Amino acid sequence: MTAMEFIEGPVWYAASAIFVLGIAWRIAAIFMIGRARDLSVSRRSPIVGAAKAVLLHSVPHGGNLGRTVYHFVTGYLFHIGLFALLLFAAPHVAFINAGIVALPWPAMPHWAFIIAAEAAFAGLILLYVRRLTDPVTRQLSDVDDHVGVWLTFVAMLTGCLALQEAHAGLRMLHMLSVEALMIYFPFSRLTHAFTFLLARVNTGAALGRRGFTP
Amino acid sequence: MTSAASAIADAPARSINVQAAVDKFNALTNAHIASYLDACVHCGQCAQACHFHEVTRDPRRVPAMKLAPITKVYRRHKAPFAGLRRTLGLAPELSRKDLEEWEELIFDSCTMCGRCTVVCPMAIDIASVVALSRQAFVAAGLGPPDLLQAADNARDRGSPLGVTREVLKDRVEWLADEHETEIRLDKPKADVLLLISSIELMKYPRSVVAMAKLLNHAGVDWTLSSRGYESTNFGFLAGKPDVARTLIARITEAAEALGARTVIVPECGHAFGVLRWSGANILGRPLPYEVRHITEFLAQHKRDGRLRFKPIDTSMTYHDPCQISRRGGATADARYLLDGVASDFREMTPTGNYNWCCGGGGGVQALGRAAEVRHEVFRIKMRQVSETGAAMMVSACSNCRLTMDESKAALGWDGELESLVELLAVHLDDTASSAPRPAR
Amino acid sequence: MVLLAPYAMAQSPPPFPAESYSGPNTAQGGQSSPEMWRDIRRGKSGTVVFPRPEGGVLIQSAGETWRLRHDTTVAYGGGLLLAVLGVAGSYLLVRGRIPIKGGRTGRVIPRFSLVQRIVHWFAAVLFVLLAVTGLLLLFGRYLLPPIIGQHAFALAASASIEAHNLFGPLFIPAVVALCVTFVRGNGYRGVDFTWLLKGGGFFGGHASSLKYNFGEKSWFWWSVVMGLVLSASGMALLLPSVIGDRSVVQLANLAHAIAALLFIAFAIGHIYLGTIGMEGALEGMTRGTVDENWAKEHHDLWWAEHKTSATADIRRAEVAAAERGDRAVWEAQR
Ligand code: SF4
Ligand code: SF4
Repeated sequence: MTAMEFIEGPVWYAASAIFVLGIAWRIAAIFMIGRARDLSVSRRSPIVGAAKAVLLHSVPHGGNLGRTVYHFVTGYLFHIGLFALLLFAAPHVAFINAGIVALPWPAMPHWAFIIAAEAAFAGLILLYVRRLTDPVTRQLSDVDDHVGVWLTFVAMLTGCLALQEAHAGLRMLHMLSVEALMIYFPFSRLTHAFTFLLARVNTGAALGRRGFTP
Repeated sequence: MTSAASAIADAPARSINVQAAVDKFNALTNAHIASYLDACVHCGQCAQACHFHEVTRDPRRVPAMKLAPITKVYRRHKAPFAGLRRTLGLAPELSRKDLEEWEELIFDSCTMCGRCTVVCPMAIDIASVVALSRQAFVAAGLGPPDLLQAADNARDRGSPLGVTREVLKDRVEWLADEHETEIRLDKPKADVLLLISSIELMKYPRSVVAMAKLLNHAGVDWTLSSRGYESTNFGFLAGKPDVARTLIARITEAAEALGARTVIVPECGHAFGVLRWSGANILGRPLPYEVRHITEFLAQHKRDGRLRFKPIDTSMTYHDPCQISRRGGATADARYLLDGVASDFREMTPTGNYNWCCGGGGGVQALGRAAEVRHEVFRIKMRQVSETGAAMMVSACSNCRLTMDESKAALGWDGELESLVELLAVHLDDTASSAPRPAR
Repeated sequence: MVLLAPYAMAQSPPPFPAESYSGPNTAQGGQSSPEMWRDIRRGKSGTVVFPRPEGGVLIQSAGETWRLRHDTTVAYGGGLLLAVLGVAGSYLLVRGRIPIKGGRTGRVIPRFSLVQRIVHWFAAVLFVLLAVTGLLLLFGRYLLPPIIGQHAFALAASASIEAHNLFGPLFIPAVVALCVTFVRGNGYRGVDFTWLLKGGGFFGGHASSLKYNFGEKSWFWWSVVMGLVLSASGMALLLPSVIGDRSVVQLANLAHAIAALLFIAFAIGHIYLGTIGMEGALEGMTRGTVDENWAKEHHDLWWAEHKTSATADIRRAEVAAAERGDRAVWEAQR
């Protein structure tokens, strides 16, 4: 077995398994802690509240746009760029089509890739630079915050380096860094990609039933 | 280190039971809270919403910092992969030092106003986590003495400000005489049980008179009860769940004895929030009565045509008590009451559900050592009011009122502060009949 | 159709005189001649059926000149970088790290705002990525193959070109933002030339300075000018089809390499002094505050203006720095 076959074979499957099972466990374990039923009489529907919270907290609201515009813009730059790359980059589409499931969408053109990558990098670097310089975020940050950013950055970078698809070595580097990211993912704060929904739903339901979804 | 934190460090060593705090944190971390602790991404945006950060600019006072002690315990004990983390030595146990350093943040620096939840991309309700955390700190033997004392007073003497049954009777009698208003106390049966807040009774007694006057005029079958009269729940605010339960049980017994179907909470935000949303959960069974804030109740009667008011020309604005508006869902009622009454009503920016806190909620009002920062917070309110140009600021919470009155005096602000209920009582249109309007 | 354009040249009316023809009668008919070839070799444009920019040029012979100049640039540029590294290295060896002579006071003065620091580091991250990949592309083919092998070099070069093309466009807004956020205080004053005459105090003595000294101001303008040249030439290289004219692209290529080398050379000095070369300098750009003695020793005139905002409450100073940078004094005057 060549190194490439190893990285695209057993390592890839192991990383995928850790990623999927890890996240599933992470979410299941939270649910399994359990909770008592709320006995107070609700004023409004908690379900509507939950739905509202999920949507509302995707954008600044309550007159706070001016105060959070930096995170709003850089956050969206990064996340939109990242997801565009993840789901629509030609090599990704080919990889998913070949090995996992036939995607019902086409790959994006090269110019769109460049724009998405630029947005993602600009967003990530700007967010991280702020994390390092703003006294508030410096106060909050721990090792996990840094490791998560660096792994993501390296995965994105190696992906872009491999863009010519002319060298197996570069592809291997990208695969390896992505696998490292996937293995680290379930144990880290990166799982906010999934748990954000739990938190928003809980707040939306608990406060929405009081009459106002914050 | 902030001055308050260094004061803690200089104080004589207290006996701190770290294990008790750990156990309490563990017991209180349910799936709901766990989802918050798992979701925070340390983005720091919540700092932008918190009045304590706004006025101190202290990076430690970013709301997310208040999640740290419970998160530390969670990561070691209950979180997914906690065992793995423990084995690898990646999840240290909560320390005595942590508790000491965080005491000021958990008690002095959070009014549980819920503003931070609005900006948090994860919608984390830090206020509820702070309420739980206080229980763990108190279990460990920490907590500001004045706040704990207020809770004990409520348990032992019926009220945080020493309003015992006797004091209640005396004050009510005196008020009824002085203001020639019928204030019903201990009627054997009544539809409606009215509660008072001892802040009102001791510092703003006209407020009690005003409520009596309005309820009488509206033809409500109401009474005060010496079995359960105190609406504030310092047990909840001070992290003493047993006291919180006792206080709610008192009210519930009084209501049951009266056969009351409605319990009215007076102008006090936290009193309303605790009884309305946590009362049943603390008691462990649904409340056998409905809980309504006085503004909700009056708005209902205005809607039904039982209450009418004479117009008020003074320009005014309304300060939303957090627990009544943002976290209480009764934002519209105060405005409905003023609608057609206040001829020159002006909204602040931000207002309603997004209004800034007075700085004294969550028991912070009771902390002597937090006075200075409260005054700083009041500057936000002063700015908001002056931007409206209104001559008078009205509110519906005696705790907000007391906080703001103190700050007003300390800062020499010349704006006028009023209680909504008192204002309405003065402008009650008693020429109109109190008969209900026929239903349309 | 476009593909036919070069062939079309043969059928179009003769661009070159036919009289001097002496060669065999080949596909060019009677039009092949030494002069014609000489002209073509010199890049003379002919006539084509489908005119496009440079469509009539068979051999763009300026490429030869470009190659020569390019090689010269590589040689001199490499020398320049080595020289700068050598100077910084020997200064460090001979005189060591420049210390805060009076020692740290524990009192700090706000210097750079959060916005300035974010812009600086955003530009810095991109600069490093671009410099590393750019240098690899420029010098790599001479230096690397013997060390890491032809194959590994091809891989590194492929990776570098992708990264360079990707991060390049992001550098343009970064340069503009740098220019806007740092321009205040970077205009030259009389005192800067005194500073220069005194050798900046690098060889002993004291040279007075405002917020920025002559060297820092020059670094600012240097960055702006080089940044703009790099931006413009970089876009031309990224989108040659938009430019069309090959000689412009060749010019852009040379300008890009020269500006980059000059930029990197100065940057080595900047990075050296900002990190290992001088005690107490880096924190101005990380935490936003500098020690009072550092300010006194390196920017005495700035210090004199701002000493009122010096404080031992470091946390508060960092917050003040984040929000207002060193504007406290200026705001107090309003
Ligand atoms: S609830 Fe209010 S006081 Fe408490 S942290 Fe959030 S914004 Fe600050
Ligand atoms: S805004 Fe929410 S996610 Fe961000 S740091 Fe604050 S609590 Fe955490």
